[in-house]
Amino acid sequence: MAETRRAPRTPLTYVLRLVVIAYLGLLVAWPVVLVAWNAFHVPDVGFTTEAFAGIFGDPQMMHAIQLTCMAAVVATLINLVFGVSISLLLVRTEFPGKRVLSALIDLPLSVSPIVVGLALVLVYGGRDGWFGPTLESAGIQVIFATPGIIMATAFVSLPLVIREVIPVLEEIGTEQEQAAASLGASSWQTFWRITLPGIKWAVIYGVVLTLARSLGEFGAVKVVSGNVLGQTRTATLAVEEKYLNFDQQGAYAVAFLLASVSVICILVVFVLRARGARVR
Amino acid sequence: MSIEVSGVNKRYGDFVALEDINLTIPTGQLTALLGPSGGGKTTLLRVIAGLETPDSGSVVIEGKDATSLPVQKRNVGFVFQHYAAFKHLSVAKNVAFGLEIRKRPRAEIAAKVEELLELVHLSQFANRLPSQLSGGQRQRMALARALAIEPSVLLLDEPFGALDAKVRKELRDWLRRLHDEVHVTTVFVTHDQEEALEVADEIVVVNQGGIEQIGTPEQLYDEPANDFVMSFLGDVTTLGGALIRPHDVEVTPSPISEHSLEGTVSRVLRIGFEVRLTVLTDDGEVVTAELTRTHARALQLEEGVNVFVTPSPGAYTMPAPSPAA
Ligand SMILES: Nc1ncnc2c1ncn2[C@@H]1O[C@H](COP(=O)(O)OP(=O)(O)OP(=O)(O)O)[C@@H](O)[C@H]1O
Ligand SMILES: [Mg+2]
Repeated sequence: MAETRRAPRTPLTYVLRLVVIAYLGLLVAWPVVLVAWNAFHVPDVGFTTEAFAGIFGDPQMMHAIQLTCMAAVVATLINLVFGVSISLLLVRTEFPGKRVLSALIDLPLSVSPIVVGLALVLVYGGRDGWFGPTLESAGIQVIFATPGIIMATAFVSLPLVIREVIPVLEEIGTEQEQAAASLGASSWQTFWRITLPGIKWAVIYGVVLTLARSLGEFGAVKVVSGNVLGQTRTATLAVEEKYLNFDQQGAYAVAFLLASVSVICILVVFVLRARGARVR
Repeated sequence: MSIEVSGVNKRYGDFVALEDINLTIPTGQLTALLGPSGGGKTTLLRVIAGLETPDSGSVVIEGKDATSLPVQKRNVGFVFQHYAAFKHLSVAKNVAFGLEIRKRPRAEIAAKVEELLELVHLSQFANRLPSQLSGGQRQRMALARALAIEPSVLLLDEPFGALDAKVRKELRDWLRRLHDEVHVTTVFVTHDQEEALEVADEIVVVNQGGIEQIGTPEQLYDEPANDFVMSFLGDVTTLGGALIRPHDVEVTPSPISEHSLEGTVSRVLRIGFEVRLTVLTDDGEVVTAELTRTHARALQLEEGVNVFVTPSPGAYTMPAPSPAA
């Protein structure tokens, strides 16, 4: 199988292609297209942007969208700073427990977001959480408030920057950093002038992926936010709410907005990857 | 004295990489650290630079104790075997790096960079990225970058190791000329004895974490301190139980002194202008001798011919090590 020669085209080739296309089509493409379609199309009425007008005219919906964007941006910034620091720590230093930490980082990907939400409530819950009452008495409410939403969002998207950056850090090695040090650069100068430019593309991919993931987070946020209308209801929670309240058109419209942002994020990554490959 | 290394030890786990190194490198000279792979040359160079901390011992650079100084403060230029070019910066920006860190005025940096690029013959490549240079050009850029900070010592780790033989030879001559121009105290690592003999003012032979001998190329070649140095710096053979260089073995049709040994030519190998003979003496010793083509022809040397082998008068010999060594 080591041959690079392409396998001859047999009927099986075509069958396989058909299966793949059908699989992706039925599972991903068609449902997403239908969401878009239903966002703009009402039976018996035809095409309309009424649902969007409804959303943009509804201050509480606008608040939900703003909250989602704010939480996603803040969570992404947090994961940018911590992600790069943790990557540097894991690749450039030796310490006991390094492997355990490395394994822990993948946890958010393998654990259900609902579990993440419940875990956060156990720790930060205002009434009987482990740490929550202390914070509460200091005037900081985490659960059922914006900090909880940001924490839940940051938790679920934690590994994305790290998993992009680590392989690149390993690949570029330490020689350039040592050369910078021998030329007099402090560790901080070396980081800004040498290391960061070296991992720039990986950081950008990681940030875009984190942003896309954060915008769409539902399960963990649902548990910690309390879903209070006009206060802690995020866009994804609003989609569910509208759907359950038979405002299906509205639900599709918000879903369409969320999906559009994610698709744009994916396109950005796609273009950047192509450019990055050319630059290197 | 520019660099003084005293009592330096360095271990990696159980492995002793450097053992009680004492070394003085004079100002303004070109010194080679020569030795076989894994001998500890890179480790020693990195200890001098401050890229590696010794377990014990001290490093003094230009009279200042540098043992506890970090690499940033030692003002050494370090050139890595694989260039360590800053990939995202242009050639000019690479060279300017150390000066920008030192916050020199812009005009001064520009002038200095131009001067250095001129020196390393890279002026027309100033705006290229390192990936658009050849290996030899990248190495010259790395050298210019290290020289930009006007280092008190310049340290090069196998600077030409990754280049092909021809470019290597060119750069080696160029390094020598450059050093005669710039006069910065320079230490370079090599495992190529020809490179060391040709370029260096002084050679330090490093083997198995220790120093075997320090001396000028002539001293090392003519009076090696031990059999390791003798065999590392050139070909050796044994004659009458002594180590001797093959070109110091005289081959004659009849005995010329009481040290002459009789034998038969078992192999004749012609390499360019010289002929390498293998002679099996009647005592069962295998002796290699080198002579010129003309000389060999005059003697009508062929396999199976009877000859006498004698050490040339004044040839340097030393007792051969016991077979166990
Ligand atoms: N970081 C390290 N960890 C463990 N062992 C090391 C480390 N660095 C070097 N060594 C060991 O120390 C010894 C000396 O290494 P060093 O790199 O100084 O050799 P060298 O003389 O430069 O060899 P070469 O000519 O192959 O570059 C080697 O046996 C090497 O395996
Ligand atoms: Mg080495």
